[in-house]
Amino acid sequence: MTDHKPKIAFFQCHWCLYAPEDQEWVDRRLPDNIRLIKVPCTGRIDPLFVLNAVQGGAEGVVISGCLPEKCHYKEGNLAARRQLQEFSSFMDYIGYDEARLRFVWLDLQDRGRIQRELADFENQLQQLGSAEALAARQPLEEGGAHE
Amino acid sequence: MSELEQKIRSEAERLLKEGLVDVVIAFRKEDAPLRPQPAFFTHPEDLENLTYNGLCANNLANYLTRYPRETRIGMLVRGCENRSVNALIVEKQHSRENLYLIGIPCTGIIDWRKVIALTGEDILGYEDTDSTLIVRARHQTFRLPRQELLHPSCQRCVHPNPLSADILLGEALPEGDPTLIRARVESFEALSREERTAFFRQEAERCIRCYACREACPMCYCEECFVDHNTPRWTESGTTPAGTHAWHIIRAFHQTGRCTSCGACERACPMDIQMTYLTDKLGKDMWDYYQFAAGMDDKTQPPFAAFTMDDKKHFQAGGKLS
Ligand code: SF4
Ligand code: SF4
Ligand code: SF4
Repeated sequence: MTDHKPKIAFFQCHWCLYAPEDQEWVDRRLPDNIRLIKVPCTGRIDPLFVLNAVQGGAEGVVISGCLPEKCHYKEGNLAARRQLQEFSSFMDYIGYDEARLRFVWLDLQDRGRIQRELADFENQLQQLGSAEALAARQPLEEGGAHE
Repeated sequence: MSELEQKIRSEAERLLKEGLVDVVIAFRKEDAPLRPQPAFFTHPEDLENLTYNGLCANNLANYLTRYPRETRIGMLVRGCENRSVNALIVEKQHSRENLYLIGIPCTGIIDWRKVIALTGEDILGYEDTDSTLIVRARHQTFRLPRQELLHPSCQRCVHPNPLSADILLGEALPEGDPTLIRARVESFEALSREERTAFFRQEAERCIRCYACREACPMCYCEECFVDHNTPRWTESGTTPAGTHAWHIIRAFHQTGRCTSCGACERACPMDIQMTYLTDKLGKDMWDYYQFAAGMDDKTQPPFAAFTMDDKKHFQAGGKLS
C-alpha cells in the first residue's frame, strides 16, 4: 500500500447523477487525481477515448452512466455497453488488466454511490500498482502531427 | 489452364457478353512470381489474362466499395469473400441485385512467403495441383505439400464454401473444424498477462504504418480513417510505440462483428506482423456472447449495430458481461 494517488480518468454521462449534491461534488470537489470528462450519454464514448486516456497516463478509467432502461436517450447506452464491455475484455486480452476499467451504472436511489465507487476504485488501483502494459504517449496537439 | 480456371473464364465471358454485368472482378496473371493480381474485366477479349490458383491472395470483396451501388458487378468469391460481401450488403455498401457472385469452394490460399522460404525467389513458374504445389526454380523443381503452405487463416477456415453465390463452380467441400480458430485464441488467452503484452508489443511495434492491412481489408472502407483525422488528432500518427499500439488495437476493434477471418490484412503486411489473433478474439467473443458470426447472411446486423433490452441480463452490477 502506498500513498501514491493513482490518476483516474472519469467519464461521466451528465444525466446519470440524479442527486444534485452528487453532481455538485463531481463538478466542484473532485480530488486532484481524478480528471472529469463529461459526456451527454455513454453512447458518446468511443473506445478510442478510453484508449487515449490510458495512453495519456490514466492509471484507471471509470465510466458512469444510467441503467440500461433509464437512458435519457432511450437506447444510447445499450450500444455503448456492448462496445465498451468488449473493449475492456479486448484490452485484457492484450495484457492490460481490465480491473483498471470500471463501469458504474447508476440508478435513482444511488445517492452518494459515485463517491464510494471512486474511492473503492482508487484503492483497487493502489493495490494493482503501476500500469506498464501499454506505451504512454505525448499529449496530442490539436490539428498537427508531432513525433 | 486448369479446369476450374476454364469454368471461371467461360462464366465471366457469358456475363460480359450477355451484358449482365458491367465488370467482372477476378484475378489476372502476375507480373511478379507467385503474386496473381486482382483484375477488373470489362471486355470479354481481356479474359485471356484471367487466372485462378491458390496464390490468389487478395480478398476481392475489398473492391466492392470502390464502385457505385448501381454498378453491376460480377465477382469471383470464395467462402470468406462471400461472407465479406454479405457483411458489406448488411452495411448497405452495395445492393444484392447488382451483384452476380461466381462462387468457388476454396481449398485455401497459399502463403507465398512460405513458398519462397523453401524455394528462394528465383522462380520461373509453378503449378498448383490438388495436393502439391510444383515450383520450377532456376536450378531445381520443388514439389511442396500444399496443406503446409496454406496461410494460417486458411488452415483454420471454418466455411470454405460460398454461402450465397449465384453459381457454384465445383463441388462443395466439407466444412472446416470450428475448434481450430478458437483454440488459437484460447491458447493466447492462457498465456500470462506479461506474455500477452510482450507478444502484442513485439508485433505492433514493428509496424511501419503503411496501412496495407487497412487497404487490403474489405471492411476498412471509411472515407477518412481515424488515424488520418487531424482536427482533432485522435491518436499518434508516427511509428512510436504508443502510435503503433493504438493503430493495432483500434483497427482490430473496428472489425468487431464484421471481420470474416479471411487473413487478407496479414497477407498484405510487408512486416509480416500477426494481427488475426486480435480480430479472431473479437470474433470468438461475438459468437460466445451474441451467437453472431459475420457475413453468414446479408440481413443480420452485427452486435455493435444492434442491441436489446435483454442485454441487461448479461451485465452484472459491476457492468461486466457475465
Ligand atoms: S480484419 Fe483482416 S481477417 Fe478480418 S476481414 Fe479484414 S482483412 Fe479479413
Ligand atoms: S481502421 Fe477503422 S477507421 Fe480506419 S478504415 Fe478501418 S474501420 Fe475505418
Ligand atoms: S500492413 Fe503491417 S506494417 Fe503496414 S500498417 Fe498494417 S500492420 Fe503496420
